[in-house]
Parts: sequence; C-alpha cells; structure tokens
Amino acid sequence: MAERTVAVTADLTPAELEQLLLERPDYEVQLESLNQWQLAWRRFRRHRLALAGAALFLALVAIAIIGPFFVHYDYYEIPHPDELVYAGRPPSWISGDWDPPLLMGETARLQRDILGLVVNGARLSLVIGVGATIISVVIGAVWGGVAGYFGGWLDSVMMRIVDSLLTLPILFLILVAGKFLGRGDWPSVMLIFGLFGWLGLSRLVRSLFLSLREEDFVDAARAVGVSDGRIILRHILPNTLSPIIVAATLSVAGVIIGEAFVSFLGFGVDITQPTWGNVLTSSLDFLQQGNWWWAFFPGFAIVLTVLGINFMGDGLRDALDPRARI
Amino acid sequence: MIRYIVRRLLEAIPVVILTSVLIYGILLIAPGGPTARFAQNPRITGEQIAAFKHRWGLDQPIPIQYCRWAGICNPDGEGLGIFISNKGLPNILPEALGGGDNGMLHGDFGFSIVDGRPVTSVISERVVPTLILAGTAWLLWVVIAFLTGVYAAVRRYGLFDSALTVFNYVGFSLPTFWLGIMLIAVFASQLRIFPASGMWDTRTVPAFGTDRYWTLLGEDPGYVLTDLLRHLVLPVITLIVVSIAGDSRFVRSSMLDALNQDYVRTARAKGVPEWRVVTKHALRNALLPVVTNLGLEIPFLFTGAIATETIFSWPGMGRAFIQATNNYDYPVLMGILVITAIIVISANLLADILYAVVDPRISYG
Repeated sequence: MAERTVAVTADLTPAELEQLLLERPDYEVQLESLNQWQLAWRRFRRHRLALAGAALFLALVAIAIIGPFFVHYDYYEIPHPDELVYAGRPPSWISGDWDPPLLMGETARLQRDILGLVVNGARLSLVIGVGATIISVVIGAVWGGVAGYFGGWLDSVMMRIVDSLLTLPILFLILVAGKFLGRGDWPSVMLIFGLFGWLGLSRLVRSLFLSLREEDFVDAARAVGVSDGRIILRHILPNTLSPIIVAATLSVAGVIIGEAFVSFLGFGVDITQPTWGNVLTSSLDFLQQGNWWWAFFPGFAIVLTVLGINFMGDGLRDALDPRARI
Repeated sequence: MIRYIVRRLLEAIPVVILTSVLIYGILLIAPGGPTARFAQNPRITGEQIAAFKHRWGLDQPIPIQYCRWAGICNPDGEGLGIFISNKGLPNILPEALGGGDNGMLHGDFGFSIVDGRPVTSVISERVVPTLILAGTAWLLWVVIAFLTGVYAAVRRYGLFDSALTVFNYVGFSLPTFWLGIMLIAVFASQLRIFPASGMWDTRTVPAFGTDRYWTLLGEDPGYVLTDLLRHLVLPVITLIVVSIAGDSRFVRSSMLDALNQDYVRTARAKGVPEWRVVTKHALRNALLPVVTNLGLEIPFLFTGAIATETIFSWPGMGRAFIQATNNYDYPVLMGILVITAIIVISANLLADILYAVVDPRISYG
C-alpha cells in the first residue's frame, strides 16, 4: 500500500480530523505549522459574512481612492429657473432620461450629481474614520498600557480620570469642540474624534496589561534587565494586538457615523469638501418636494460601509480572539 | 448600603467639577471667545467690545471667571474679598446661610447672551418636551428589547431569532439622524400619515407650555393627546431602533447564558414546566446584567435626542443645545451641558446602586 500524505491543518476541527482518520485510515496525517496570523486568517476565511463585509469595505476603499478621478459632482449646467429642475432631477433609471446619466439623481438647488458627491465624500468619511481611530488607539494603548503595567496609585488615578470622562455625554463635547475649535477642515474633525474616542480602548488595554504583566515571560524579561518601556512595547503590547484590532475595527464604524452626524449639523467638515454627512445637510428641506434621492443615497453609503465594517469586526473577533464570543 | 451610596455620591462631585472645567476650557480656548460673533459686525467698535467684556466679567483672569460662574467667588469683590459674600460669610454657602446669591452653585446659571432671559427659564421650558420624548422612548425601548431578546433566546435559531439577528445587524449600522430623515421621507412626505416636525399641530393647538395649551388640554384632552401622540411616533421610532438593535442582542445572550446554567437543568430534571423554568429560574438571573444596562443607556437617550430633536424640530434640550452652540450663547450652553452631565452621572450612579440592590453577590465595599 502506497504511503500517502495529506496535510491536515488548522482548517479542521478536532472532530473533523477524527472523522477523516476514521474514513481514510491509510492517510498519514502531517500537521502543518502555522503562525498566529495564518491561523487567524484561516478562521476568518470560514466566516462568510465577514468575508463579504471585508470585500464590501475594500471595494468602498477602492472607490474612494480611484472614484474621484472619474466622477465629479459639479453642476451639470447653470441652475435652471424651471421649478422642476431646481428641485433636482431624479435618478435616470426612474425618469428614463439618460442625458446626462444620473445614477443617483441630483441635489436640489445647486443640482449636483449625487453619485459624484457620494464617491468624493467616501474619501473624507473613510479617512476621518480610520485616522481618528488610529489616534484613539495610540492614546488609548499608551494610557491603558501605562496604567495597567505600573498599577498601584498611578493606575487608580489614570483610570478614575477615564471613568469620569466616560460618564460624560461625549457627543455634546464633540459638538462643542467641533463648533468652537474645529476649523471646518477634515484634520481638525479627525483630531477631535481621535481625542474623544480613546476612553473605551484604554480600559480594554489596561485590563489586558493587568493580566499579562503577571505572566512568566514578563518576569523573565524583567530579570534580565529589560527596561519598563521596552517590556511594555515589545513584550506585552504584541500580545494585546488581537483585541485592539477588533475594537479598532468597530470604532471606525462608530467614527464614520459620528462624523456624518456632526458634519450634517454643520459642526464638522464644511460643505466645500463633501463627506457623507455634510452632503445631507440641506436634503431635509427638499423632502417635501419629493427629492428623496438626495437624502437616501449618501446615507445608504454610510449604512453599507458600517454594515461591512461590523461584519468584518465580528469575523475578526472570532478569528483573532476566539475566547471573547458574545 | 447607605455608606455605599454616600461614597458614590461623594465620588460623583469631582466628576461634575471636572466636567464643568473641561467644558469651560473648551469654550474659553475657542478663538475669539464669546465676542467672536461681533467680529464681522462693522457697527460694533473696539470700545463697545471692551465694555461688553467688562460687563460680563470677561476681562478677568480665566480662573476668576470660572470661579464666579461656579458661584464660589463674589462677582463684586477684590483680593480675598472675592471669596466672601456681601454678608461676610464664604460665598460658597447658600444664600440663606449668608453666602452668595449668584453662580451655578446657587442655582443661578446666568443670562442668555442672545435674548437676555435667565438660563434656568430657557432650560426649564425645554426639559419637559425632552422628558416626554426620552421617557416614552426609554419605556418602549426597554419593553421591546426585553421581550424580543427573551423570545429569541427561548426559541433559539428559530425564524424569529434569525429575523432578529438580521435586524440587529442592520439596525446597529443605521445612523440615527439618517433613519429620522428616511422616516420623514416615507411616512411624512410620501404617505402623509404622521407629521414631519414639531410637537403639536400649529394650526389647531397653541404652543406647548403656554396657559392656552393647558386650557385646551383641560377642555379637549382627547384631541390634544392624540395630536401629541401623532407627533411622537416618528421621533420615538428614530430614537429607539438603534438602541433596541443593540440591546435585544444583549438580552438574548444574557438569557441564553442563564438557560445554560446548571440550576436550569436541575429545574427541568425535577419536572418543572418549561414556561416556569423560563420565567422563574432563567429570567430572574438573566435580568441582572440587563438592569444595569438600562441605567447605563440613559446617556444615549440624551445624545440621541440631539439628532432626533434637530431632525423633527422637537422643542427640547437637544435642539436648544444646537441653537445655543450656533448662536455662541455661552451661558445657555454651559447650563445645558452641566445639567446633562449631572443627569448622566446620576443615571450611572442609579445603575450602580440598582445593580447592588438586585445582585446580592455584589459587595458594597
């Protein structure tokens, strides 16, 4: 009997492995060695919704990067005195008028192409979502890491501050900061969301550090004289990456919704640079005229993105952090 | 227990102070400060701005300004006298005990820069509409999230459970304000079932809170209340969909945890009827984390109210907040923020206390 080999990997659960061995006793099983990230990718791959979410998100990122080179949102013509045109033309597939082709219709008043606004707005919405999350992850990791690693009174003071800030109505503060400190450009909006968004993350990182600092490998590092800063950054932090990545992914979705709302109210990015939020600003006034497409499509873009990110986050949680299931 | 509550109350004080300092700081480092809105007005001279600043005490150092706003410092005094009220006692005391009569600590939030009315009356007329909206929403939200969550857990992987999971995902991804706009588009603009904005029908009902409103309410309560309900429907749905999406999932997982416990198996093994196992054994234990969550979610009602009240022109605190921010109305803004912070902190405190009451395993230490 010829010896055959099959590579059985982490793809199989123990039960599946047993089943396979029962069915094909002639198979020799060889375990493939995979590192942590390869294992996570295998688990993520099985999560169909997460894959779909990731694909959706990546597609939107691609549109945000390339789209603006092809689609513009400027006026098609000088606003027409005709009432109907002033109210904005409906999508071409509804009106049947394909000249010019308007996939998502026009805004009222200035008659901008909504497809162009959505595609161009994707850039800032995604950049602010990801950028603000990076800022809050950095602050939250440093704050929570220091508090969790050193413990004692420093930990109590730092966490007391976080706890009290967490009891505040953060959105109120973000709105006030947006109005009074923001300059209506995207970096300031990103900074404001980053500076107000790290609280939850710091608590997460602290709890991870609290348990990890008791581990033997930390003792070992300390015994050979590794400095505190290096232990935090090189020894403990890499072990906390999985939960941080999951939390950060979900935070991107939160920032995108938050930014849209703040800009919608006129306290975020101003309307000279389109985002999915500020594009909606005056749409409410024209619903009565029947212009629903203006309000619908930019918001629908937000829902799709957030849905994609949330699916992806769920998949990442299962893949990276299999113990922390809800 | 009482010691625990007192300790938590004492701990809440620095949080409120921190909040007010933080808000004050944000407002003061803003370029231009409260006089920014005069900058574009060519009719207002530099002297007038200086006089304005002097009258509102804005030419004083920031710590003094804060101290006066908070009601620790005497607005007229100098030197050490700023801490002493006109009656010779520390200003921080209530007026009846010889302290000052102005500043936040004495219940005086100052006057609106825009129309000169006392901030307390600006806010107090906005509180009731917000409470009507938020209260209705909270009640419905709790009941719906609870019922759907428990039912989905009991009939796990059933049709309802799957539908709820889909709803959870989609609902949780909806921006509140956009959901409001869409509801207006469908139910107000197209179908014309519900009104798109406001709290009462301006053609047939006088403004809420006026004497004529209460008279009409006394004469024809049916009409006025139906009118109010009709105006409540869309804002309430807007406010609760996202929260229910998050919470019913939470209730479901909490209930599933409880149903998997050993004592539930024991109860079943003893032959306790299933409905009794669910209602008596599992439900009571599943309630624990849910009850805490209820208090913790109250802040979301207030932040959610900003979106809902703006979209639906609901005359509440959230809308007042947006208006005050747009008008650079610092005193009103400070008043709303401090009151909201106090409400939110009290809600958290209440949640903690409730948790300690419900769960005997929690120590009050």
